[in-house]
Order: sequence, then structure tokens, then C-alpha cells
Amino acid sequence: MTEPTVSVEKEPSKPVVPQSRRRRLWRALDERLGIEGLQYPVPEHANKLAYSLGGLTLITFVLMVATGIYLTQFYNPDPNLAHESVRRIITSVSFGKFVRGFHYWGAMAMIVLVGLHLLRVFVSGSFKRPREANWTFGVVLAGITATLFFTGTVLKWDQESLEALEHNIEIGKILGRFGFWFSPTFGGVPLLTRLYVVHIAVLPFLFTLVIAIHLLLVKRLKMAPSPFRKEAIPEPTRPFTQHLAELGALALVLIGVLTILAVLAPPPHGAAPIEGIEVTKPPWPMLWVYPIEDWVGVSGILWATLAIFLVLFMVPFVDRSPELSPRKRLPVMIAAGVVVVTMIVLIIYAAVQPVASHIGMG
Amino acid sequence: MSRRSGNHSALLLLVLVAASMVALSFALAIPAFAHAGEANVPAFTDVQEAIAILATQPELMGRAMDKVHDATDSSNVSGVRIDLVKQANTALKAGQAAQALNLLERSVGVCPGAPVIEPENAPRTPPPLSSPCPSTAPHMLALARSPLGGAQEPILIAVGALLIVVGLGLARRIR
Repeated sequence: MTEPTVSVEKEPSKPVVPQSRRRRLWRALDERLGIEGLQYPVPEHANKLAYSLGGLTLITFVLMVATGIYLTQFYNPDPNLAHESVRRIITSVSFGKFVRGFHYWGAMAMIVLVGLHLLRVFVSGSFKRPREANWTFGVVLAGITATLFFTGTVLKWDQESLEALEHNIEIGKILGRFGFWFSPTFGGVPLLTRLYVVHIAVLPFLFTLVIAIHLLLVKRLKMAPSPFRKEAIPEPTRPFTQHLAELGALALVLIGVLTILAVLAPPPHGAAPIEGIEVTKPPWPMLWVYPIEDWVGVSGILWATLAIFLVLFMVPFVDRSPELSPRKRLPVMIAAGVVVVTMIVLIIYAAVQPVASHIGMG
Repeated sequence: MSRRSGNHSALLLLVLVAASMVALSFALAIPAFAHAGEANVPAFTDVQEAIAILATQPELMGRAMDKVHDATDSSNVSGVRIDLVKQANTALKAGQAAQALNLLERSVGVCPGAPVIEPENAPRTPPPLSSPCPSTAPHMLALARSPLGGAQEPILIAVGALLIVVGLGLARRIR
């Protein structure tokens, strides 16, 4: 009698694929951070430049924070010392002139990018249902960007800055009890110093908070379809990480352009301020209110700015049709065109007009 | 139905914008009224303003002259040596802005380099000029737009150009 033989079946061994150290590191990071979760699909049109303007605005904001941190090491927000400290940054601090120039051109770029992003969203109807709330957050972000720009122009504390601040104080007076914060005597701390805190802490915090909500809503509601797509088949998708990679490449171009501008055309710094006169004009992004101020006084700045933002907030509530194509929304496109052209004409008109006094006009 | 109401809303927006444009056009016709009450302005303020105009925008010499005239016509000449202001006026007429600026500063006792005094803190009589004065007044310290210069300039331009080329190349490859 022979004993039955017991055969133990061995599992076929899997071929061992050698993993590179880089791959193992990536897997370890992904396991803990969920990075591959970023590979969710986005429509192909997301990779076009027009759909990357919002991302570029955010990248510019990060660049502004980085260069701003450097500048704060040397800037003194005391009104008696601010002008001299900016002068020192330009003339004595290592890379001070370059970093200030980069910050200046970055601010200009941020204003242009946020404006173009708003226009793109408007033209492509991306603000329409269910994205009305996200449009509103976008307009708030544009407002914060404009305020960052304004406070930044005041901090350099030359003649133009003082005149901007004096206008700010006058607007505070128009606001009555609601304008108490703009009073030079409020809090016992100079307004320039308080505006500095607003520029480097309050506004960046608000921007970060609102941009987080803005991006979460973009993720939640998905990217709006393109109104310019003609094919009947569903649009192909790309992983979001590819969009991020493309944004990174465009960011390199942006940094390169800002670097060259900062080297070849760093911003000037005006004379130390003297109170009681108006001999300068605001920088071009704020120049469109200058003629309005000529015609109706300082209050024109307040009402014109409020009117523009009111119109922007109203856009999703006025243009409610589900139609995305700009050709089928001609009335609103013409209205928007009239507003944009008017602002450009006002800027050009103000640029060629002589300097005028406004404080005290009411 | 909703499309009709959407179109109506859009037309309403168009009308609103058109109305705003018309209102703006009317505003164009409203004359600015910025120069009321000039006779009561102290000469000290006018001189300070003329100084600031010459210091910050010397090309606006006409506006500086207006301020100098206002100063000489003012009923309140406290703290100002009007004889020096008149000399400044002559200098301005001769197109000598730097000399006019110096005379105007001396007329209110401001030594070039001394901080500017607020009108409400103006002394009744101009203080004597301290001597020697610092070479440059603080409000003259403006820095024009000029390239970075130095050894870092070509390096940074090269870095910037490289970033643009690499960025454009990567963007094209990714797309």
C-alpha cells in the first residue's frame, strides 16, 4: 500500500516589477496625501490660455506674497519714515530695486489678469446657473485685488500716494459715520500704518479665504462648458493635473516677463509728499475715475466705483437665459462692450488731460 | 418663457447702460468749481503748494505761478516774506524754476532739507535760515524710472528670457 502523495499547489508567483525609488516615493506620498485625487477629468478647453487666466491670477498673488514678505523686512510704515525707507529699498537693499520692480509689475499683471478673467467668464456665460454664487465670489476677489492695488500705491508714500490717501479720507467723510475707519485720528495710529496692516495682513487673508471658496465651487460645480464648441460629440477630457502642469509652464513665462520688466523698467519713486496740493494723477488702473472726479467731485469716485461693482454683481441676475453663446446674447454683450470701451476712453482722456484739483469739490 | 424674460432683462440692462452714458455726457457739461474761496487762503499755504508743484512737477510752471500770484494777493501773509515771493515770481517769469523754488523755500523759512511745516503750525514770522543748509530738500528726492544696472542686469535678463522660452516650450509640449 502506497501512501497517497499530497501535492501542495503553489500559487503562481507574480512577476516582481522593480519600482524605482522615485516611484516608491510618489506612491508613499500619494497614499498619505491623496495626490492622485487631483487627476479628476476636466474638459479639454480648460487647457486654453483664456481658461488659465484665473489660475495665473492666483499664481501672481502668490508671487506678490513672496516679494511682499521680502519688502516688509525693510519698509517702515511710519509716515515720517516711509518715504525714506522705500528710497533705501531702491538704493541700498540687496536686490531691493529688483524685488520692488517685480512686486510693482506683478501688481499690474494681477489687475490685468483678473480683469481679463472676469471678461472671459462673462463672454463665455460661465457665470450662469448654477454658477451665479461663484461669479459673486469672483467679483469679491476682483474688489479685493483692486483694494490691494490701491493700498499698495499709498504705501510708497510719495506725492501721488499722499494725494490718493487724501482722496480716501474725503471719501470716508462722504460715508459719514460709516467712514470712521478712514479718519486720520481713528485709533490713535496713523492711517498709513493702518493701511499697511490692511495691505499685508487683512486683504491677503480675505483673498485666501475667498479664493478657497471660489476653487471649491469650481471643483464642485465643474468647469462650465465652452460656448464655442461646435462638434456634436461629447468633449474629450484631460486630467486636472495636466491643467496644473500647463499653468506651471505659463507661470514660468509670466515670471520671465515680470523679471525682464523689473530689470528694464523698475517703477519710479516720487518726491516726498507735501499736503494740500494735487499735482499728480493716479496710476492707470484707477485713472478711469479721474475725469468723473473732474466733473462731479471726489464723490464721483465713490459712486462710479460702487456703480461698476453693482453692475458686476447684478450680471447673473440680469442675464438669466440658459444661452451661453455671446452671439445669442447680443444686448448684454453690447452693454458690456459699451462699459469696457467707456472705461478705456476715460483712461485715455484722463491721461491727456492736465492735472486738476478735486479735494473740496464735494 | 424664461428666455423671453432673460431677453427682457438684457434689454433692461442695455437701456440702463445707455441711460448712464447719457447722464455721463450731461456731467461733461457741468463746469468744475474747484477754485472757490481762494482769497481767504493764507499765503503760507499758497507758497507751500507752489513749492510742491515746482518740486514734483516742474513742467507745471504756470500752475506754480498762479499759486505765487495767489500768495501775493492773499490777505493773510503771516509767516511769509512776501518780498522773496515777489522775487520768486520774477524768477518764474524768467523760466528759472530752481531759483524760484529756492526763493519760495526761503520765503517761508524752509531751509532746503528741513521738513515741510503744516500751514496751521506756521510761525508768525519766518525763522532765519540755518546755514549751511543740507544740499537737497527731501521733497526733491525723487527717483526716476531707470534700468537696474550693474552686473545683475544681464544675468536677470538672461534668466527671464530663459524662463519665457522654457515656459512656452513646456506649455506647447503639454498641450
